Amino acid sequence: MMTCKEVLDSLSAYLDEDLKQEVREEMHKHIGVCTDCRAEFDTLTMTVKLYRHYEKTEMPASCHDRLVKVLELEKLRPKSGKTSGTGA
Amino acid sequence: MNAADSDEQLVRKAQADDERAFGELVHRYESKVYSLALKMLRNPEDAEDVLQDTFLRAYRGIKSFQGHSTFSTWIYRITANSALMRLRKKQLPMVSIDDADERETPINIADWSPSPVEQLLSQETQVAMNEAIEALPAEFRQVFVLRDIEELSNAEVADILDLSVAAVKSRLHRARLKVRNRLAAYFSEPKPRRAMGANS
Repeated sequence: MMTCKEVLDSLSAYLDEDLKQEVREEMHKHIGVCTDCRAEFDTLTMTVKLYRHYEKTEMPASCHDRLVKVLELEKLRPKSGKTSGTGA
Repeated sequence: MNAADSDEQLVRKAQADDERAFGELVHRYESKVYSLALKMLRNPEDAEDVLQDTFLRAYRGIKSFQGHSTFSTWIYRITANSALMRLRKKQLPMVSIDDADERETPINIADWSPSPVEQLLSQETQVAMNEAIEALPAEFRQVFVLRDIEELSNAEVADILDLSVAAVKSRLHRARLKVRNRLAAYFSEPKPRRAMGANS
């Protein structure tokens, strides 16, 4: 059976469905009998769920207006011919 | 320029000095950039600075964008780097990401998970969630926000942050534990809270 440390190290991989089936089954077995690891598993799962429901923020219209002005000013600047090094 | 153009088509047009094409890219991504910056920095003024900085950099650098990644990844990368620079200036003293405060063995953690998500998500809880993010070192915060709030994949986050997928997974796991530990402390506070259903 997996140790507590092995289970704890694998919690995120389990949540992200990034474990082989046999490892998932081993974790299930461990969590079924280890109440401490069960609490670790449940609270980490709930943490991820909570942030998936995190506040949705709208950008204020004034931000858009100021961004447009900043970009308009940039267009008026003489071109230096240099790039900002953000190419990818 | 057509609003139905793909990002790739818009980028090509913007590289050929089509200002309206760049404007359409701004329109498509400004809210996402602002949202990511705000979640990382927790401050509207800083988020707006990052928004402007990101699109200025994109405007100046669009001709050197070679399309090895998608425009989406590129703009997120500029945003994440700009936000990280601001975070590093603010986070004094710097917290090493090697500082391990995660446990290797479980302890008796209060299990607040049986409460429904909707019940836990009070305004008070949102404050605790914000504080838990603010307590994360910058490099952990980047990964956590992109992965667990923006819900990008490990591969996308790795591409944006120029990390290996293994490094993303490692940082994400440690970030989740740190956040969970903060929330566990919050939920196990002895004082009565509306968040835990005091009205019921």
